[in-house]
Amino acid sequence: MAAARLTPGTACEAVLCLLLALCYASVGAQDTATDSGALRFEGYPDAPAFEVVSRKSDLFFYPCDQCHESMEPNPEIRALDTMHDAEIDHGRGRIWCLSCHALEDRNYLTTLLNEPVDFDDSYLVCGGCHANRHKDWTFGAHGKRVANWQGPRSLYSCTHCHNPHSPAIGPRAPKPPPPVRAGLELQRGADHAADAEDDATEEHADNE
Amino acid sequence: MSDDREIKDAPNKFDKARRNFLRGISVGAAASLAQPAWGGQTFSDAFADFFQNHYQKMSADEIDAALERIERKAQIRYGVDINCENTPPQENVVFGYAINISRCQGYRDCVQACVKENNLGRDSQVQYIRVLEMDQGVTNLEHSEHYYDPAEVPVEGKYYLPVQCMQCDDPPCVKACPVEATWMEPDGIVVVDYDWCIGCRYCMTACPYWARHFNWTEPEIPAEELNTDTHYLGNRPRPRGVVEKCHFCIQRTRKGRQPACMEACPTGARIFGNLLDPDSEIRYVLANKQVFRLKEDLGTEPKFWYFSD
Amino acid sequence: MGMIRFIFDGGREMFSGSRDYWLWLLALAAVIAWGAFRYYEQLTNGLVVTGMSDQVSWGFYIANFAFLVGIAAAAVLLVIPAYIFHRQDIKDVVLVGEGMAVAAVMMAIMFVVVDLGRPDRLWHMIPFIGRFNWPTSLLAWDVVVLSGYFVLNLLIPFYLLYNRYRGKESNFRLYFPFVVLAMFWAISIHTVTAFLFSANPARPFWHTALLGPRFIASAFASGPALIILTLQVIKKVANYEVSRSVIDTLALIMTIAMQINLFFVGAELFTDFYNEGTHAASIHYLFLGLDGYNSLQPWIWFALSLNVIALVILMINPLRANIRYLNIACVLAFVGIWIEKGMGLVIPGFVPTPLGEIFEYVPTSVELSVAAGIWAFGVLVFTLLAKAVIAIEQGKLRHPAGQQSYSS
Repeated sequence: MAAARLTPGTACEAVLCLLLALCYASVGAQDTATDSGALRFEGYPDAPAFEVVSRKSDLFFYPCDQCHESMEPNPEIRALDTMHDAEIDHGRGRIWCLSCHALEDRNYLTTLLNEPVDFDDSYLVCGGCHANRHKDWTFGAHGKRVANWQGPRSLYSCTHCHNPHSPAIGPRAPKPPPPVRAGLELQRGADHAADAEDDATEEHADNE
Repeated sequence: MSDDREIKDAPNKFDKARRNFLRGISVGAAASLAQPAWGGQTFSDAFADFFQNHYQKMSADEIDAALERIERKAQIRYGVDINCENTPPQENVVFGYAINISRCQGYRDCVQACVKENNLGRDSQVQYIRVLEMDQGVTNLEHSEHYYDPAEVPVEGKYYLPVQCMQCDDPPCVKACPVEATWMEPDGIVVVDYDWCIGCRYCMTACPYWARHFNWTEPEIPAEELNTDTHYLGNRPRPRGVVEKCHFCIQRTRKGRQPACMEACPTGARIFGNLLDPDSEIRYVLANKQVFRLKEDLGTEPKFWYFSD
Repeated sequence: MGMIRFIFDGGREMFSGSRDYWLWLLALAAVIAWGAFRYYEQLTNGLVVTGMSDQVSWGFYIANFAFLVGIAAAAVLLVIPAYIFHRQDIKDVVLVGEGMAVAAVMMAIMFVVVDLGRPDRLWHMIPFIGRFNWPTSLLAWDVVVLSGYFVLNLLIPFYLLYNRYRGKESNFRLYFPFVVLAMFWAISIHTVTAFLFSANPARPFWHTALLGPRFIASAFASGPALIILTLQVIKKVANYEVSRSVIDTLALIMTIAMQINLFFVGAELFTDFYNEGTHAASIHYLFLGLDGYNSLQPWIWFALSLNVIALVILMINPLRANIRYLNIACVLAFVGIWIEKGMGLVIPGFVPTPLGEIFEYVPTSVELSVAAGIWAFGVLVFTLLAKAVIAIEQGKLRHPAGQQSYSS
């Protein structure tokens, strides 16, 4: 830009540069709190207050640095064959251990922005990908509240129900079917369900 | 003459004898009033039971006396000391319930928890909650399976719909009852005065959700499983020949606790709370989820919703 | 006092008669005793001794109740021609019809009481002392109209017979308004009973405006059947003159009512089956079975056949004029409508349940026995009333003072 003359073109360029600089500066000015230079998740401000049931006491190996303090962190993506034996059935290969566990300090989990998260706040990690669920959980449409509908609100953490390494909840046996009135018998009782299944298989056969 | 004297004395003696006799009878009567008679109940309790007034017409003292009679009856029948209360409704509370049918897996944990919490007769075989197994994509209740019993749930291609009393805002059962034994309380729960119901079962005919059940026989509850925290309008032991139904665990919910079915549900499919509180979980569900109600076209205004997500 | 004397004389008349009469009373008493014995069993064990369930919560008792209210209402078919059209031949037998109404209402009320889970709490229904949910509850309405009908059908004949007993003329202007009231009341008892069922949108099988008209039509087809048969029995047994014109009039009413009744059945079948939806599940269960459950199917087709055959007989004038064929038609119609309007009405309302479950119902021996006992009781009441009525009408029972009038 040596020996530039002030033409309308260069004037516009200069104004544009000035505006861009101001933009960056303003963004930079907001972001004095963190190093990452991005907005921090503050939770849902209009959600009713809650606390989360602690999980740390249920974690057998916690605190993790009992062992990991003396171990060299290894960020290489690989299958583990250690005492943890943590086979990851979560995300169909899109995540692995260090997606959620902090590399440097194993007593913490990590968000997508590499912020450390206490094990009792693990929902912040889950919510990083499962944002809708997290919002539902915060407002009470998902998950489980402890004991009361009124008063202090204590929520079960995600990992109370979902094993983070294999979160899908599998089928289990149901409790028994309803009885009929004393002295009467279920007509065609179990047969009815069997009949229905027979009908279904017949239909399948017909359709094929 | 001695006769005269005897005659003169005789009335006194006779009076005395008569007085003693009557005193003896009244003491005996008082004693017999307190003796267990009528199926173990004292006569005075049985008498008071028979003439007990409708819940809404009893004074506070009369209700207290009724609560005590219920406790005594439970002691006689089950050998267990129960506590029967009459917790009033909270101000500015109307209860609502929602079930996430994507979360319900058909375990029936809610059904069993309800049976235990509400002292349902194991032998009279009343269950307030019935879980229906439906084919995916079908909402026609005619094609529901009530007695599903596979090795594991959920079965592929099915979804599960738990049904219980909807605590309708315009309840047809309340209209039907000829003696006003059932009504809606200020907190929205449709209750039954089990000591007033005559057992005509017209309310059962009127209910579109098959939510009302009848004690065809005396409810049998193992004494060790009896829930001793009871409410007059809720889970106190009920007699034979009366109708009963889900009452949103009135003995719990009026004290801020969750109903037993909600507490038992392991998947968190059940959401319960105060419809009048705009910050409640139930209000969030109603505002943000695609909720629907069963048989809405009948105009009963159920306070029980379903949604999936 | 004349009235006490009247009651005593009437009572004595009721309990005096031939050996055959006493055998009849004793036979009825035996059935009543048996029914009472089994009812005691129900009282001690609870309604679990019946075949009812949460799924089918009304059964044989309420089925009989619905049918009997219709029989009671049909007494009006004698009252109208007697008092409005001044048919003297019918006037001679109208009190017998009202006696039948009294017996039928008593039976209907008894069927409701034995169906209650807590009959010891009946006092809860008394207004002001208890809590009577009138006018909201249809059951409360039914209690009012049935009690009122019972009282009307006792009071009016009581007044007329008392005067006849004393040899006095009844005051037409005094009793006629009550007669008119009784006429409308008869229609009301059966309409209210129909509304009891039809008021429930939870039960699509009943939730039709046609149910009220159906009830009246079937009542007017089955009631006269019973009256025709009974009048012939009375004619034979008590030597009481019943003119043929009465029978013919009733038979004609029965014919038209049965035509209308069957037309209504046809209308229901068409409306439900033409575009069959879920609401037709109950009628499908009744006539065609549902998912393999069909315990009522043979019954309803049997009932329908009886009604159709009865109608065919009635519609062929020479047959209707022939007393033997007419009697056959009466029996067929009575039984056919008892099935169709009793079990064929009440049970399908509960199958399937509002949650779609199919659970069938079979009455137990307790229910059948108690029902038999109640029917026997009704027949007994009617027998006793008819005995007294006939004696007074025939002039056999008179106040000993003859034509003198006594102040009561």
